[in-house]
Parts: sequence; C-alpha cells; structure tokens
Amino acid sequence: MQVLCCEDDFECWRDQARQLLRQDIAPHAVVWEDRDHRQLFASEPLPASTPMAGPTAQATRIPARLLDELKRAAQYRVSGRWNLLYRVLWRVAMGERQAMLAGDRDGSELQRRIKSVSREAHHLHAFVRFHPVMGRGGLDYVAWHEPAHDILASASLHFAERLGRQRWLIVSSRDAVWYDGETLHHRQPCPADWAALAESVRDNADPLWQTYYSSIFNPARLNSKVMQGHMPLRFWAGLPEGRVIPALMSRARAGAQKDGQAEAVASKSGKVIRSAAYAKDDSFAGAKPDAKRPD
Amino acid sequence: MELIDKLTVLADAAKYDASCASSGAPKRSSKGKDGIGATNGMGICHSYTPDGRCVSLLKILLTNFCLYDCQYCVNRRSSDVPRARFTPEEVIKLTLDFYQRNYVSGLFLSSGIIQSPDYTMEQLIRVAKVLREEHQFRGYIHLKTIPEADPALIAEAGRYADRLSVNIELPSPDSLIRLAPEKQLVSITDAMGTIESASQESRSDKRAPKFAPGGQSTQMIVGADASDDSRILHTAESLYGQYRLRRVYYSAFSPIPNSPASVPMQAPPLLREHRLYQADFLLRGYGFKVKELIGAQGNLPLDIDPKLAWALANRDIFPVDLNLAEPQLIARIPGIGVRSAERIVSLRRLKRIRFEDVARLRCVIEKAKPFIITSDYHPPQATLESNVLRRQLSDQPAQMALWG
Ligand code: SF4
Repeated sequence: MQVLCCEDDFECWRDQARQLLRQDIAPHAVVWEDRDHRQLFASEPLPASTPMAGPTAQATRIPARLLDELKRAAQYRVSGRWNLLYRVLWRVAMGERQAMLAGDRDGSELQRRIKSVSREAHHLHAFVRFHPVMGRGGLDYVAWHEPAHDILASASLHFAERLGRQRWLIVSSRDAVWYDGETLHHRQPCPADWAALAESVRDNADPLWQTYYSSIFNPARLNSKVMQGHMPLRFWAGLPEGRVIPALMSRARAGAQKDGQAEAVASKSGKVIRSAAYAKDDSFAGAKPDAKRPD
Repeated sequence: MELIDKLTVLADAAKYDASCASSGAPKRSSKGKDGIGATNGMGICHSYTPDGRCVSLLKILLTNFCLYDCQYCVNRRSSDVPRARFTPEEVIKLTLDFYQRNYVSGLFLSSGIIQSPDYTMEQLIRVAKVLREEHQFRGYIHLKTIPEADPALIAEAGRYADRLSVNIELPSPDSLIRLAPEKQLVSITDAMGTIESASQESRSDKRAPKFAPGGQSTQMIVGADASDDSRILHTAESLYGQYRLRRVYYSAFSPIPNSPASVPMQAPPLLREHRLYQADFLLRGYGFKVKELIGAQGNLPLDIDPKLAWALANRDIFPVDLNLAEPQLIARIPGIGVRSAERIVSLRRLKRIRFEDVARLRCVIEKAKPFIITSDYHPPQATLESNVLRRQLSDQPAQMALWG
C-alpha cells in the first residue's frame, strides 16, 4: 500500500495519479491522506517512473471532460476525497466509462460531489454580503463568507463581472480572495490583517436592507421550510437579514396578521384617494415626491 | 418622509407581484469596465423570505398612489393604506447600493397609476434610462408596463429593460370588468402584442437595438374570482402561444387590509397555486398540452401532482421499459424529471438499466416504481387499480415543498 499526500492540491494529485496509472497501480493499492489529518505515515515520494516519450495508451483513453469533472469534484471537502477520484480515473482508463456517470456506484458519488460544489458556488454568488469600507485598506467592499467547500478561488471572479473596477476582499476562515480592480489574488491561509478587516465589518447591520426584507415578506404565506431548504441555516449569521428572520416568523406565526401587510405599514396611518382630486394635475400634491428638484 | 419609511411602504405594496426572476437576460459583464452590473442568463436568488420566496431583484413601486380601484389590490384608491412616492433618484440610489452589497441582481420597478398612464410610464422609463446611461448599470431591469400607455413609450421601455410585463390579472374578461373596472382586457393584450412585435423586429435584425431580451411575463391572480384551474391554464396556454410569454406567474390571492366585500378574506390558496405552477412547468418543459392535464372544466387535484394525475389517467401507456422507451416518454414518468431521463439515456448506451441504477439517480423512486420496467424489475403494482395507487402515492402535506 502506497500512502500519498497531495497537499489538497489538484495539480499535484494529477501528477501523482498520472504516474500511478503509468505504473499500473490499482486504486486499492494506494491511499491519499488529507493534508490536515495525516494519520498513517509520513508520505513517501513516489518512486520516479521511467520517463516516457509520449502519452501512454491509457492516458489517451481519458476524456477531457473527466479531467474537468475530477477537478471540480476535488473541491468537495471530505476526508479521503482523493481516493474516489483515483478510483474513477482508474476505472475509466480501464475502459469502464460508466464509472463517471450518475447511475454508477462511483460515478454517482462523483456527480454528487460536483453538484454540491456547484451549489456551494451558487451560495457564494447569492449570500456574500459586501460591506462598504470607503477606501480602507485600498478597498471598496469587504465580505466574510464561509463556504463548505474549496470554491473561493474558482468561483469568485463572478464578482469582478458584477462590480467592474471596484476593489473587494472576501475572507473565509480557510482562505481569502482579493480583487485589486484588475486581477484576482487567492491567499491560503488568509493573511491576518485581511481577516481583521473583515472581522471588523462582518456583523454590521443595514437598516435599509433589513427594512426591505421585512416589507417584501408576506406573512400570510409563511413557509419557513421552503426558505430553509434554499437558504441553509449556516448562512443566516452572515446575512444582515438573517438577524430579523426569527422575529418575522414568530410574529407571522402568532397569527396577528391575517393579511399580507407588513406590520410596519399597518402601524402607519392610511390615505384614501378621492379620485376627483386627480381631475386637475395641480391638485395632485399628495403624490408629489418630496425632493427639491422638479421631475 | 424618510427614505426608510418610503421603502417600508413601497416594498410592502409591491409584494403581491409574484415575479422576482432575473433570468433570460443576455450575458453582460462589467469586468475591467466603468460602471457595474452583470447578467448571466440564469439569475440568482440572493435571499429567501420566510414565505419561501426568492429575493432576486429590488422589487418596489415608484408610488402606491393610484387612480384606479382594482378590488383585489391593496393600492386601489379606496384603500386606506399609507401612501408614499420615491423620486427616480431615490430608486436609482437604492438599486446601485443594494446591487453592490450583493443583495440583489437588479431592479423590478412597478407603479400605481398617477396623473395618466403615459406620465406613469415615463417615470418608470426615466429610472431605467438613467441607470443604464448615466451609471452604466448592466444588471437586470424589469419594468412593469402600463397597458394604456402610448406604444411608443412601451417601445422605449424595451430598450432599457431586460424584461417587460403586463399583468393579465384575472383569468376571465367578466371578472376583469367586475373587479378592475378601469382596466380593459383589450388594452392588456394590445400591450402584450406591442411588446411581442417590437421584440420580433429586434430579433429578426441583428443590427437592431436589443428589445427586452429577457422577454415578457404576466401574472394571474388565483382565487380572487371564481375561475377554475381549467380556465386559468387554458388562458395561460393561449398567452404562451400568442405572445411568446417567457413566464406566466400565478399568485394566490392574499387577503388585503380593508378588504372590500367583492374579494375573499380567506387564507391564500397556496396548494392550488403550487399545483398550477407544476402544471405550467409541464407545459413549458415537458411538452404537455393543457388538455392532457385537465378537462374543459374543473380544478387540478390537490392530493397528487399533475404529472402523476396524468399517468394514473393513462395507465395503458405504463409500465414503461427504461431500456427501450423514447427519452420524452421517460420524462413523462412520475418522479423522473427531464434531467434524470437524459441520464438514464446516457447510461443505457453503456449498460442495461437496473433498478438500483434508477434509485441512485435523483428520482422520486417511490413515485416512479409502479410505472417503470428495468432489466431486473417489473412493478408488482402494474395491475393495481388507479384509485388504490393514488391513495398510496398521494402527497403528505410535508412532502409538498420537495417536488420540483
Ligand atoms: S392599477 Fe389597479 S392593480 Fe395597479 S396599483 Fe392601481 S389599483 Fe393596484
């Protein structure tokens, strides 16, 4: 049994796996240890393989799609994550193409991991909450986000598309990404001063957003199960709106509200419009915006 | 009035519109450019409210002052609600701020009708125009179209917006006359026609400026009048066909404060709304026709989903052999979606499909079981009567949310 470690780095694992394939080493004869939980032995370097002139017969049988899928599945955080990847690679190299498909025992697990990883990228795109820092640290926006998988480096460029030339930083407890207005930088582990900056803003409230969230909610349709299915609890603490959810739910549950109106609106006084008042535009004072400049 | 108070009122006033999608826009990016905003075609749900609905856009009214008196609407002129009005600048500031903080992917702006339909429409357009031209905002914009507005204004709106919508409101013309006396079905469908022909023109000429590339959508209120599901779905089907609508939204009528006697004061019919969405999904994604799902009259069953109802009514087609059947037919099996059907087809090129293969896919296997044959499985329930099967397969209320 060979024991290997690839520092949880895909390129490193790929080189190791390529060598193992060339040497015909079957999946049951090799095990990868996790970077953070080495238990068995200090991993030994792979014995150098005989240099090859070109790709072996086996290497040519590996579809490009598989490499891409392995790379994505490798971002899934689970202990022993590299072993499944080698098993799939091995079986496909041996001609068992279904090993990468969803109905297969290994293929299902591979596809499940890919799906979770892409779901986690969606969670990043959805639930990052940027706090404006007005140029502090040479940055416009800073966020703290805690993904469940190693997606920060691969999924963050999305925010450069959204925010143009603005400079931003996203910090997690494992790593961080920084966009300087032109280029994305990934750091693992996250530098201490970045973490401190993100820490200083992560709990900032935003009354405007919390108000919007409370008002757009329809208490007559309370369905917290669906909400939690889409927005897992582990993210709530990082969302300004997460802090108002419990109060909104308990008020809706208390059933004081039989209609859809937000409580804050119900407590304001109302205004029936007498349509006659609209006959002349001038008498339309009630609907004039209270800004100074005419529109 | 403070901005935060206006937001309280004008978000509350906008919540009865179910649409909040940011999908269907062409790919745009601000990477390395001035301005902000991107769209990717798919849309993002940035949050969910405790009613389980997606928050994708800043959805607000410019004002909830309204000249009209639609009975089902909280903003009707006879309603005793607090009133407010944003300036266009306030909406722009909120949109940019919420966008940059990653709360939303854009703006869905609607309005009560003030002064005149044209004036109201001009106000909406102004917000979109300034966002696009002065702020180079490339995020998603959805504008509500005022049906009675000048077609030239509708054409202008489509140059700035990704999506336009005109709400059909009620599934039958009679109900519209009774409950929305100032509205007319023909203005609504005319506006849809204006949007569709402008969109067609821009699609047919590559050099022409883009017109509402995310298409148009509409909303029907469910349960404010006596229309049945058959009527609702037939209306939806004809709208999809005639105006190439991207989406029809169904909005279970929520009781409103100071409810007039002409509309119900009951809890919103959420399960009914859910079944309508399921049926609508089958129309758009599975090639079903309304007449396969429902008769000329009546409602969809509430205890089972419409696909299962269809299968139970067509037992002669089942069980279906997964190793032989056409992909389209596999996707019609209860519990098996389009995606799983595709996966079954790719897998069977390599091997015979066994029961455990299906179980490993993301299928609702309990629902699919009576309707499938695999190389090692033939359903024992194949001869069971449909009504017995229906009782076994009917939804527990708790499972309802999992369908999809
Ligand atoms: S036109 Fe009718 S539906 Fe629209 S805001 Fe006014 S009252 Fe409500």
